Amino acid sequence: MMRRQALKLGGLLLSAVTLGGWSLFKQKDRSPLLLSARDDVDGNHFAVGYRLDGTRVFSTQVGQRCHDIINHPTLPIALFVARRPGTESYLINLADGQLLQTLTSLPNRHFYGHAVIHKDGEWLYTTENDTTDPGRGLLGVYRFEGERLIHSGEIPTHGVGPHQVSWMPDGETLVVANGGIRTEAESRVEMNLNAMEPSLVLMQRDGTLLSKETLSQQMNSVRHLGIASDGTILACQQFMGDAHELSELLAIKRPGQPFEPFPVAEPQLRAMGHYTASVAVHSELRLVALTAPRGNRFFVWDLDSGALRLDAPLPDCAGVGAVKDGFVVTSGQGRCRFYDCRQSDLNAKPLDLPSGLWDNHLHVM
Amino acid sequence: MFRPKLLFTSLAAIALAACSPQDPQAVTSAAIAKQVILPTYSRWVEADRQLAVSALAYCQGKENLETARADFLHAQKAWAELQPLLIGPLAEGNRSWQVQFWPDKKNLVGRQVEQLVVAQPQIDAAALTKSSVVVQGLSAYEYILFDSNINLADDSQKARYCPLLTAIGERQKQLAEEILASWNSTDGMLAQMSKFPNQRYADSHEAIADVLRVQVTALDTLKKKLGTPMGRQSKGIPQPFQADAWRSESSLKSLAASLSAAQSVWAGVDNKGLRSLLPAEQKPLADKIDAAYAASLKLFNDNQRTLNELLADDAGRTQLNAIYDSLNVVHRLHEGELAKALGVQLGFNANDGD
Repeated sequence: MMRRQALKLGGLLLSAVTLGGWSLFKQKDRSPLLLSARDDVDGNHFAVGYRLDGTRVFSTQVGQRCHDIINHPTLPIALFVARRPGTESYLINLADGQLLQTLTSLPNRHFYGHAVIHKDGEWLYTTENDTTDPGRGLLGVYRFEGERLIHSGEIPTHGVGPHQVSWMPDGETLVVANGGIRTEAESRVEMNLNAMEPSLVLMQRDGTLLSKETLSQQMNSVRHLGIASDGTILACQQFMGDAHELSELLAIKRPGQPFEPFPVAEPQLRAMGHYTASVAVHSELRLVALTAPRGNRFFVWDLDSGALRLDAPLPDCAGVGAVKDGFVVTSGQGRCRFYDCRQSDLNAKPLDLPSGLWDNHLHVM
Repeated sequence: MFRPKLLFTSLAAIALAACSPQDPQAVTSAAIAKQVILPTYSRWVEADRQLAVSALAYCQGKENLETARADFLHAQKAWAELQPLLIGPLAEGNRSWQVQFWPDKKNLVGRQVEQLVVAQPQIDAAALTKSSVVVQGLSAYEYILFDSNINLADDSQKARYCPLLTAIGERQKQLAEEILASWNSTDGMLAQMSKFPNQRYADSHEAIADVLRVQVTALDTLKKKLGTPMGRQSKGIPQPFQADAWRSESSLKSLAASLSAAQSVWAGVDNKGLRSLLPAEQKPLADKIDAAYAASLKLFNDNQRTLNELLADDAGRTQLNAIYDSLNVVHRLHEGELAKALGVQLGFNANDGD
């Protein structure tokens, strides 16, 4: 009861003094807040927030399945971004889960599941598909007016089928994983598997292209990103080629260096089933973590030496995020885990969160 | 909106339940591991030991082709029985491809065997381990013993393929022994399916979920192994060369062996299979699954013709459709009602990620 009242009080403070309330919301002695899309057993979709200690903060039913989540830098709100080819993203109040706005994509556009908010809190960029020219990659540009988003324009991603977009540490330069696959409106069917054009693009917020790089295998779709505080970019892939081939499913671009495969050994590459879901970087511990739900496998490597630190079974693991002493991983099938990475032996601890049905990505704050 | 944390769902409570001898999921998981899975893996090891001996004896002229083929079919059957039991190390890192390469849409098995016998005419098991997975297993072994383009009665041809045949036999024996050893090791699969929590399973429910997931995947694969040659993925045009074990015409026998093994996970030994986890009020579901297995196995057992023979006429194709439909019933019951009754969420990121 005490906690309930305390949280209510927190909520009141949040609405009264937004900025002050926000710092209260993120206070240090609280367990981190995990945001994710989640289903129930009947296939209904939810935007959820849980403290890592298991406390449910909110669970808000939404119409369309969501993918990634991005929080506002100063307001206690977050956007749950529609999974492709979804057309509705949801702006949620993090204190109580209230749906503040359903952000609908423009005609002839759909979301691809990822977005970023600029550090000043005024602009939001989402990866979108121009369905009149299927696969032509766009960033939809939206401006915050209070706790509402208004469409303001769009800029090209200089590639086909963009997926995740992230910030470089300067908070001004955008990184885009152009998956390279053309799909039509309301469809997830690939149209161009024999002519895929995946790429990793660095660009400015005004749309100016800074660099565009590719990996050696044309059927290797660059999809998800993790950025270290020193500007090292990690990208994880999904390979559309033949099942027996080997593919470069994790790649790295160190500052000033070319985009190239991360040195993953063959047994780990084979274990991934040509499919990775999320990548996360731990800048302080200098580690990179990767989920492979088709292989039911979770991996951690040393970012600098490339040494394998963990190769563990974890059914349908998908979302991964860095927390103070390691990584948190969610699963579509089993319990969520915290991997303590401070010692040489990485140990899994099951978290007291609901089991299974966690969707592709998590966001911890 | 905010709910106080329910204390009794805490980790400690779950751990306590999992450690208790009354935890039915832990009992069932341990029983399936010890009484169903481990004996089947042991039979596979024995069959592969025999395969290694057989290859050598055949190549030394101490055994005829018929015996060599029979030993292959025995190993193929032992492998088929493992399909619904591919949990743990053999299911990881694409190791199963080292035993059988399927599907083989582009005849990679035939092409790569032909390349390998030219490139490494005196290959041994150690060198084979470094070769493509396509040529390491039973599919390549079957190609050598059964493909119509190879005439093993011709001594020069026999000499050409024998080093590879012997290497595969030895390689399969080593692989099977390694897998069985890892099952039995400290903190190996047998321990992980018996004592909870461990580094693989946070609780016994996760182990049961994994067992069911493997069952559902295997049953789905059986449908693909039958449906693909029937033409279900190719507008009704039969694709007999897309069947598994088509060269030895043992496709249907393999499917029946796999299905029978799946039934043993469901029924268990001394009724300690997945069925034992269903509460009394779910008896109608248990009966339905029992009946579905019995119906499908009867269709397999009543049939004496090969897949190719059945594909060749209308009556045969009708029979294949009936077998396919019976497999489908078993699969759907596991994927739907049984998963729900056991509280198992089958992974959706793996099947429908992004």
